[in-house]
Amino acid sequence: MTGHRGQQRAERRGQQRAERRGQRRQEPNRRVTDGLAVRNVSHGFDDTDVIEDVSLAVERGETVAIIGPSGTGKTTLLRLLSCFHRPDAGTVETDGADVWALSERDRLDVRRRIGMVFQEANLFETTVRRNVSYGQHVRRSWRDRLAQWFSRLRGGDASEAVAESLDLVGLADAGSRPVGSLSGGEAQRVSFARAIAYDPEFLLLDEPTSDLDPRNTAVIEDAIDTARTRGLGVAVATHDMNQAERVADRVAVLLGGRLIEVGPAERVFTNPEDPRARKFIEGELVY
Amino acid sequence: MTAALAGCLGDDDAPAEIHDETLTVTTTTSTYDTGLLDEVNAAFEDRYGVTVRAVAQGTGAALETGRRGDSDVVMVHARSLEDEFLREGYGINRRDLMFNDFVVVGPDDDPTGVDRMESVTDAFRAIAESESVFVSRGDDSGTHVKELAIWDAADADPEGEWYREAGSGMGEVLNQANRTPGYTLADRGTYVSQRSELDEVSIRVEGPIEGGSALLANPYGVVAVNPGVHETVNYDLAMSYIGFLTSREGREIIEEYAIDGEQLFFPEAVSEEPNFRQYVPENWTTEE
Amino acid sequence: MIEQASPVVAAADGALPLFVELPFKWNYVESIIYVSLYVSLTAVLVSTLVSLPIAMLVGFSEFPGKGFLVALINTGMGFPSVVVGLIVLFAVSNQGPFGSLDLLFTTEAMILSQIVLAAPVITGVSLAAVTGVEDGVRDAAYAMGGTRLDVALVTIKEARYGIVTGILAGLGRAISEVGSVLIVGGNIARADGTSVTRTLTTAIQLEARQGRFELAMILGAVLVALVLLINGLVLRLGGSRI
Repeated sequence: MTGHRGQQRAERRGQQRAERRGQRRQEPNRRVTDGLAVRNVSHGFDDTDVIEDVSLAVERGETVAIIGPSGTGKTTLLRLLSCFHRPDAGTVETDGADVWALSERDRLDVRRRIGMVFQEANLFETTVRRNVSYGQHVRRSWRDRLAQWFSRLRGGDASEAVAESLDLVGLADAGSRPVGSLSGGEAQRVSFARAIAYDPEFLLLDEPTSDLDPRNTAVIEDAIDTARTRGLGVAVATHDMNQAERVADRVAVLLGGRLIEVGPAERVFTNPEDPRARKFIEGELVY
Repeated sequence: MTAALAGCLGDDDAPAEIHDETLTVTTTTSTYDTGLLDEVNAAFEDRYGVTVRAVAQGTGAALETGRRGDSDVVMVHARSLEDEFLREGYGINRRDLMFNDFVVVGPDDDPTGVDRMESVTDAFRAIAESESVFVSRGDDSGTHVKELAIWDAADADPEGEWYREAGSGMGEVLNQANRTPGYTLADRGTYVSQRSELDEVSIRVEGPIEGGSALLANPYGVVAVNPGVHETVNYDLAMSYIGFLTSREGREIIEEYAIDGEQLFFPEAVSEEPNFRQYVPENWTTEE
Repeated sequence: MIEQASPVVAAADGALPLFVELPFKWNYVESIIYVSLYVSLTAVLVSTLVSLPIAMLVGFSEFPGKGFLVALINTGMGFPSVVVGLIVLFAVSNQGPFGSLDLLFTTEAMILSQIVLAAPVITGVSLAAVTGVEDGVRDAAYAMGGTRLDVALVTIKEARYGIVTGILAGLGRAISEVGSVLIVGGNIARADGTSVTRTLTTAIQLEARQGRFELAMILGAVLVALVLLINGLVLRLGGSRI
């Protein structure tokens, strides 16, 4: 019951945001106050995947696709958004608050409002259910974990959120399977399920379907849509232009570590302002 | 831990531990391997309600442990080393405890012909000349010290392929001599206690107990570690232990201890005419 | 009273329901097994508690001298037990830095020396195991809201087979070494023949020295059986729970 009401509320919220979004599109360098954002960040590991002076916001209820050739900094950008690293310059913000100015404890709370799906499934060597319930597991106190451990010994381990997440990716019956028995596509779907099972506000996906067949890709894209509809802010890094067109409300084009174009998906794909973005979208710019 | 072990073994008949103290005795493998020490210590523990930790080492190691203050009493059989221990101030109140003797053990077919030689030095010289296999303790034990003294007295050089330093305890060396087979010098106690396992070797030269060479006498002494040097040693209990060993009761236990009906050790602590030299190092005078 | 006590005494005397006469007293062997297990299991438990955090720290942090430390751990895996025995002997001896604790010739000293022996093995094998865990798996745990401790626990869980192998290797090294326990433990038995600091290995050495090869062989068989049993038990436990 509560879940259903929550979903309605989230959908309403999403609609309101979509309406507001129309006005904001006019001012690309507006001051970010809402959602998860990076402002003027520069960061790099070694020489690849360096980003310079990038600003981008992901609001609740929208899907932003980050496109660009591989090695151009998409992963770095997502890792900054998910608070993995402190940027060399610039700030990471949630609802206007500088994440790296927070205490570690508060930053943990911020991190716990973010879900992330990686290019590889990276599942733990255990059952599907325990993978998907891990997010809830780490949010429990040590005493509750112990209690949970004992209740599991007695055979009870049913969480509604876990079941719902698995259902969302079409694996409702796979809970007790060991991850070793999953196909590549199923594994990636589990990794999606566990990223949303703890009800995050933002979902970041790094090339989530690059190794998948069309059927599994469709399942993930549907799940992204559902998440967005529920009010999550979604950012998906992809090199697949068609995918970006299918799932995104807005598109950010990253090239050579710089954000060269951000805008509504329709406009960017039909009429990009930046000539290099146009070349990339038309498939002429091959890196 | 001790309580848990006692509980699990069910030996509740141990006497109440009045003092709850522990005495550490370092001793030679020969007293330990014959089983005499268990007999003596059981009686002492019964009498005083204490625990004895007996650590079997070579004579050299037993004295060294005492030097570091890690044991309270040392029971060994190399008078020259004991004297050194006393002279350096680590040990006090030495008492002659008991004696047995050494015997030369060798192959039953006796390739060197030392069988029943009167003189052990002659026997050693014959072994060296024929270069028959001789297994030496080689571990700075009382037996080893004695063996070297005999080579010295025989004016023979224990060098060459035939001379094997085992670096092991008496039992091990007897086993080696048995398997080779070869000659070795053994204390009678260990030899007798192990005789049933030895099928290739037997006594070739007797010691003084059976009327052999006096050079083969094997006297055991017991020394307390000096509390003036190591304040942590349990001197009271050490002296009680020495007192018990050298009492009539101790004498009886030692005298009655036998394997296969054969007495192994001969107590010499209780006497109407005490030998005053037992308390002090050799050549010690008051002027010193 | 006496009638009541007799069954207990019979059990203590080793009156097992066996119809062959054993060439030894059962309570002698039993007490030796107890001491062996007590010393080695305690040492391995402590070693594990020390080794795992070290393996995690060394595995996932960068600091100057890290290469040297890893080399040191690997050297420690093959460190001769008699040398460890000597070092511990001088540490706990009356003259040594811990002399006042009166630890020489006690099981505690034996545990100490076995910790020194087992810890490098457990650390070294665990280090290899935890560094073998993929970064992506650790990232996933972190991304789902795990604290650094949670990530460490996930890493340990993922590396569990390697770590268990390390612990078993450490236990194998501890329970089968003879050099150090002989030096610091003294191979002491009570006058009634039950073990104080006598382990299976030192007892085997003693029995062989005294030419009682039969008993030595039996003790050897017990030792091998114990190691096999522990291995089998842990593998079984590890296999049944995911």
